[in-house]
Amino acid sequence: MRTGNSVQKSLEFLKNTFQTYYASNKVKLPERFGRREFAFVLFGGKGMVRHLGFDKSELLQEFLSERGAQHAYYSSAYYQYPTAPKMVEKNWLGAELIFDLDSDHLPNAEQMGYVESLLAVKKEFIKLIDDFLLGDFGFKEKYMELYFSGGRGYHCHVKDPAILDLDSNERREIVDYITGRDLQDSLIFHEQATGRKRYGGHSFTSGKSLKMPTPDQDGWKGRISRGIIDLVYEIKKSDNPQKRLEEYGVSVRDAERLVAELSEERMRRIQDGMLDQSKTIRKFFLNSALRKTAVALTAGETDEPVTCDVKRLIRLPSSLHGKTGLKVVKINIDELKEFNPLRDAVVLPEDPVRIALQKSVNIQMNNQHFHLENSDQEVPSYLAVFLIGRKQAILL
Amino acid sequence: MRELTILAKYPFLQDTRQFIKENGPSIDELLYNPPYERARIIGIERLDNALKHRDVGSRSLASESDCIMEILSYPLARMVAVCIGDPYFKKRYALGEASHMYKQLLNESTSFLLSIAKELDVTVQYNTEKNTIKIFFKNYLRNAPTRYKEWKIVNRGIRNGFLSVSHKDLARILLESLRKRINKELVTRKCDSNVYDLFSSDIKRFQYTLATQQKKMEATPVGKISVEKLPPCMTEVLAAIQSGENVPHMGRFSLVAFLSSLKLSTAEILKLFSTAPDYQEDKTKYQVEHITGASSSTEYKCPGCEKMRTYGICPVDKMDDLCKKIRHPLSYYNNKWKQEKQKP
Repeated sequence: MRTGNSVQKSLEFLKNTFQTYYASNKVKLPERFGRREFAFVLFGGKGMVRHLGFDKSELLQEFLSERGAQHAYYSSAYYQYPTAPKMVEKNWLGAELIFDLDSDHLPNAEQMGYVESLLAVKKEFIKLIDDFLLGDFGFKEKYMELYFSGGRGYHCHVKDPAILDLDSNERREIVDYITGRDLQDSLIFHEQATGRKRYGGHSFTSGKSLKMPTPDQDGWKGRISRGIIDLVYEIKKSDNPQKRLEEYGVSVRDAERLVAELSEERMRRIQDGMLDQSKTIRKFFLNSALRKTAVALTAGETDEPVTCDVKRLIRLPSSLHGKTGLKVVKINIDELKEFNPLRDAVVLPEDPVRIALQKSVNIQMNNQHFHLENSDQEVPSYLAVFLIGRKQAILL
Repeated sequence: MRELTILAKYPFLQDTRQFIKENGPSIDELLYNPPYERARIIGIERLDNALKHRDVGSRSLASESDCIMEILSYPLARMVAVCIGDPYFKKRYALGEASHMYKQLLNESTSFLLSIAKELDVTVQYNTEKNTIKIFFKNYLRNAPTRYKEWKIVNRGIRNGFLSVSHKDLARILLESLRKRINKELVTRKCDSNVYDLFSSDIKRFQYTLATQQKKMEATPVGKISVEKLPPCMTEVLAAIQSGENVPHMGRFSLVAFLSSLKLSTAEILKLFSTAPDYQEDKTKYQVEHITGASSSTEYKCPGCEKMRTYGICPVDKMDDLCKKIRHPLSYYNNKWKQEKQKP
């Protein structure tokens, strides 16, 4: 039986651990911090404490170590009066461009475990950073800051002075580009006549062939083209191409036909931009290539893109995430591929703590393997916080 | 310094301003001296044309005097526009000047087009060998009509922050840039009492026309809410809420803001939500009052179609012909009323 008392004790433990951490570890303040709104969720507190401002870093440090905030946020926007209680009175001056990728947004996030879903979200994040932000939009590395969110995703803050005053419609247009929304297939594929015939004095086109862009073209044209070529190779190379196609949602009949037609010669033609395929297959190619190359920023249903919101609160860099005890760490672009949250964001102490597990846990954290049965266990503090925060354990 | 005809065709240029400063009359001379009567007449003509035809219009620029009158009519038109005072009129006049520039730019050389871009602070790159124009994405975002699908960045090429555009595209982008610039300038200026006195009969005439237009707009029917006239997006959200499905926050928000714009009271809105299985009156009431502005400082507006699509609330497969014509769910509803009125 778990009593209310042990739940209370668990909460106290998290709070104490956070307070101790903040007492001896500095939180790095965002630029223009005097113009930012700060907000916190306190342990055991109801709702969010908002509209706070700090003009000195010591004051923020003091707040964090005294109150032991469970979650700490700041506004991506900067205001003339950041502590005004009403949004209109704050007088918005500008805001960084924020991308928030969370594993919730992935189509099949529910079936994945914590580590697996973070890997999947990182793949999306790398695509966002490399292909879109650095490549297409040409943002300079010095203006981009990448963070592990401490929870289930990654954040990118773009601080290019050119974009600080973009309004929410302009930001939405960037999001639409990155997610491939409203991509028109007539711009990607077009029909080309392969020959002409003459009847009497008139000339008619005879025979049509479907053309697609070549891989080196700018923007989505090249991206879709590269996506299709990858896809064709992936299907061709798989053990059972037809089954693979059916998994992609192509009908049995179309899959049969497509596989039969995928000769070496045909593959070469596709690389040169000749698709010569039926309408259904063209649709399949566009949709699959789009899904493959776009960034999953939204699940399309329940979550709004953070990016469009110019007055958003975002997790404070170098603070702790209240549900994991992991640090919101900054990641260098060249270290992103190797980044491992359960190693690189672990900052809480090793001191052993006794906890009761609800079910068995198998996890690698801070370079150690933990195989824990669902019974009472002694584990390092960082793991205890992680498991308690995620409601998989309570303090004994 | 550019040629006089160029200055007359593009009176917003820095060079034109410089020309007036160096060679033009004083403000008193411009307002009262008989030789400038023609400039004053053209100034009013610019405003009339802008209001009626969205274009300040072209006049003969055959002689030097033609050009000078044209040049001087521009600051006069602006001063009068400021005195008319109506924000809609200022926008309309700014559009008139900008559309006029657009039409002329279509026939100019690429190098001239690029010089105008520079003057309007639009960053462009020109490749002389390939004859391609590229524009910085920020200037594009700010000025391109991205509400149209073919203008969305997704349907264009972008690399390293620059998008390829045609001559015509760039002219269109400059139109918007000039429109915004002129409008911003007009909004910040104050009316000069001498200008007001001199042009008072014209100013009153414009104000009267605007007032009559305004009345016509307000006469559109709203009436009691009719479920059959709701756009597909709102029908979907409402049906989902009433059947107890989990509707995303943005969907609920849009519906409340939409209904509130139709002058439904908080109590009436709550009634629609009350059939939902997870209905909690106090919580819903708080949220509804927040959106309608009863308990917050802002009265939120229902998002437009484009925003609805981005948030995934627009049921694209259920769009009907009317949807394709409008850009805001409220226009759909108003349109349906109008259709019904027209029926015999």
